[in-house]
Amino acid sequence: MSSVAERIAAAGAGNAIELRGVSRLFGALAALNDITLTVRPGERRAVLGSNGAGKTTLLNCVTGDFPPTKGTVRFFGEDVTTLPPHERTRRGLRRTYQISLLFQRLSVRDNVYLACRGASRGRFSLIRTRSSDAIMQSVADLIVLVHLEQVADRLVGELAHGQQRQLEIALALAGAPRFILFDEPAAGLSPNERGDLVAILTALPPHIGYIIIEHDMDVALRVVESVTMMHNGRIFKEGAPREIEADPEVQQLYLGGGHG
Amino acid sequence: MATALGDEGTARGARRGDALGRWINHHPLAALSLAVIVIFCLWLILAPWPQGFEDWFGRKRLFINALFNGITLGGLYFLVAAGFTLIFGLMRNVNLAHGSLYLFGGYMGYEAGVWTGSWLLSFVVAFLCCAIVGAAMQILIFRRMEGQDLRQTLVTLGLSIVFADLMVWVWGGNAIQIDTPDYLTGPVPTPIVVALKPSGDAIFLQYPRVRLVIFAAAVLIGIGMWLALHRTRIGMMIRAGVDDRDMLSVLGYRVQLLFVLVFAFGAGLAGMAGIVGGTFQSISLGEDSHFLLASLVVVIVGGMGSIPGAALGALIIGLSEQFGLVYFQNYATVATFVIMVVVLALRPQGLLGRR
Amino acid sequence: MALSDTGTARRPIGLEGDAFSRWLSQHSPTLLLGLLLVLLPAAATDFVLDQIVGWTLVLGMIALSLMFLAGYGGMVSLVQMTVAGLAGYSITVLGASSLPSISLFWPWWVAAPLAILIAVAFGTLAGALSARTEGIYTIMITLALASAFFYLTLQNWSIFNGFNGFTSVPAPIFLGVNWKSPVPLYYLILFCAGLSYVAVLYVSRAPFGIALQGARDNPRRMEAIGFNVMAHRIAAYAFAAVIAAVGGILLVWLNNQISPGTAGIQATIDLLVIAVVGGLGHPIGAFIGAFIYVILRTFALDALVAVGLDGRRFQTIIGLGFLVIVLFSPDGVIGIWRRWLARAASSRRGIGR
Repeated sequence: MSSVAERIAAAGAGNAIELRGVSRLFGALAALNDITLTVRPGERRAVLGSNGAGKTTLLNCVTGDFPPTKGTVRFFGEDVTTLPPHERTRRGLRRTYQISLLFQRLSVRDNVYLACRGASRGRFSLIRTRSSDAIMQSVADLIVLVHLEQVADRLVGELAHGQQRQLEIALALAGAPRFILFDEPAAGLSPNERGDLVAILTALPPHIGYIIIEHDMDVALRVVESVTMMHNGRIFKEGAPREIEADPEVQQLYLGGGHG
Repeated sequence: MATALGDEGTARGARRGDALGRWINHHPLAALSLAVIVIFCLWLILAPWPQGFEDWFGRKRLFINALFNGITLGGLYFLVAAGFTLIFGLMRNVNLAHGSLYLFGGYMGYEAGVWTGSWLLSFVVAFLCCAIVGAAMQILIFRRMEGQDLRQTLVTLGLSIVFADLMVWVWGGNAIQIDTPDYLTGPVPTPIVVALKPSGDAIFLQYPRVRLVIFAAAVLIGIGMWLALHRTRIGMMIRAGVDDRDMLSVLGYRVQLLFVLVFAFGAGLAGMAGIVGGTFQSISLGEDSHFLLASLVVVIVGGMGSIPGAALGALIIGLSEQFGLVYFQNYATVATFVIMVVVLALRPQGLLGRR
Repeated sequence: MALSDTGTARRPIGLEGDAFSRWLSQHSPTLLLGLLLVLLPAAATDFVLDQIVGWTLVLGMIALSLMFLAGYGGMVSLVQMTVAGLAGYSITVLGASSLPSISLFWPWWVAAPLAILIAVAFGTLAGALSARTEGIYTIMITLALASAFFYLTLQNWSIFNGFNGFTSVPAPIFLGVNWKSPVPLYYLILFCAGLSYVAVLYVSRAPFGIALQGARDNPRRMEAIGFNVMAHRIAAYAFAAVIAAVGGILLVWLNNQISPGTAGIQATIDLLVIAVVGGLGHPIGAFIGAFIYVILRTFALDALVAVGLDGRRFQTIIGLGFLVIVLFSPDGVIGIWRRWLARAASSRRGIGR
């Protein structure tokens, strides 16, 4: 793994993600409560916490799936609080989903193709893409990267769960991502597939930073350099993986009870 | 328990009163113009109109008649649309055969009236006949394709085509008028002045008794439905299902019973409305699509799956149709659809709908 | 699903040499049918030409616009017949008819593009209204819009000539050909229908079409990977409206008249029946459905009487046939055909072993 300083230099100055005083209410319930969080370009961060701590809501606020009720969200310095999700995607933000949100009646290749097309021009084009086009090469590369070349022309609805999870990651890597939000990418994967996942995450180009939400501590702590702990919609601790593991409060709240 | 509920009720009422006061404080201009509009409407309805105003706007008799016809027609539309919106809200089934059920109820009620000679009994017959057909549709067909809302809707479309043709076969293409019973015929004097005689005496509006009685019945049914939805266990289950589809899976096997009951009840209401329609106007070929469309528009305007929304939508559509008929004949129905388009553009979920 | 049959994406690279023969074998049924249709005027009577095949192709075009929205976009729009009707009325009012008090008698090359423009504007607007709501709501909203137009044509006499509508709306004379006569009119219709069929098939594998299918399967994910789903849906309505509008103009030229019933509620429902019976999985379904419908419309009455039934029960036959398809083969006649092919293939394999 290259050093953090190198990656920051590769990605440019400033913060990749910057949340200021972000809250998200569902009715009277505050799923997020005054969150302030900064992630540098190229930084890899885990967000941990029990169920209902507000981790997925946090991701949804960053991507715009559910905009925050209060506070501002900046992406590489630009205020994106009110931008629709597709505009944020065009600026280089990507995410994966916990539940499978794939195009079930399209082939694997079409799924990846759409993800590449969405991040490029010609989304409305009525002219078919030729197989010699550069975009088809990146589609093929992504399929190889997530080991799906055997099933590239099958419909996604016919794939096994693990294969769908891998496709999910391929969709997030399409185009030129600058920052990726992974929402429990290891859920439901076999130990072997988890190994593959760790390999894919650590092999990402150094300028791509990410936030990962993960229950599997083995996966999460091996692929990040900093950790944010959440509880009841608030951040209560930040630090390096080793500090967090050793923290007694964290152990009691989260790691305790024989988890992992 | 009861007192606790009562306390909570009054507290909520007080809070609502505060909210009104706050609203007036925050928007004095809006409150003022609203008050002016309300007073103007009251004046339009209650006071005799000056000659100059009548010359410009038309006779007051026309206006008042359109108003009363609109409101009572709204009552009829509510009866049809309430079932439609409940079925849609709970089962996501756009029942395109709803108009056929309305027509079927009208015909069965007519037959029952001829046989028994009782107008009231014909409502029972129409309700039961349509409820049975509705329950049969749910049990025999829709239960087998749960969750496939498009396919269910296509089935209702096919059924409506077949029903319409079969009803033409049995009852022919001629319009049938259901006779009003003697105790409801004739006009009722109302305290509303429509004009002044040259002598200065006031002429009061005389309005058909049957239309007023049926409107009152529609209001009662609406209140009854609202109470049933908010105060009974089964009503709570229905509301929970409308608001949150996932709730339904918690109910398990009882969901099926709930679906059948709601479908039967909605169909039965449409059937009763058929008699009302046959008494107000007439029942004939083509009325099925007319009332299906009325239900669609009422539900789109009022908000899908909401009973108060259906009531509000029915009132708006009833009034707009009747006023359209009086004031801009060439475009009467179009006025209704303009309302729908405006609502869709500004509030896609309908006036009282929730997203 | 053949939605992704002809993908550029799935064609292996490096087989350019026999690409043409592959293309030929893949499309041979379509090409054969096309050839047959081109040669048809040599053998068929004018009645078959216009009233059977011509009508099938025109209805098929309008149903194709519905298939495009419903099959690829998941939006069952009942407003397509209305778009066709509006285009038909527009060309009547702007062009020629038997009513000089209303018709403007502009030349066809002004009237026809304008009529298409008006109808496409309407279709796009209707799309913008209904695309904001999801799935099943589309049916309700578009059905209401379609009936609004029907009642408008019925009640309005100053533009739409009310209940009577218009007669004598001839196809124009240009390039020295009288397109009103059966054979030229047939070729005009065949050309337009063929072009729109190929266009829909082609666009279904172009970025726009694949994205539309993505929005059908998962609109939220489409937003997340950078697409503006709303804009895509509205653009799809516009694309479909062009096909429906051209179909509407041809319909008026073919029937030589237009009245409220042309785009009435019955016609709107019939169009959905056609598209669903044919099958929403492939563009050819629209034309298969239209063919079945036209054959039934033309011959069922006599056939019913011949077997001793009441000829007036035609609608019951249509309704029951539709129910059977929806209940037992939701993907229409195409679905039956595909399952039959699959069974035949598997039994052949069985014999081979």
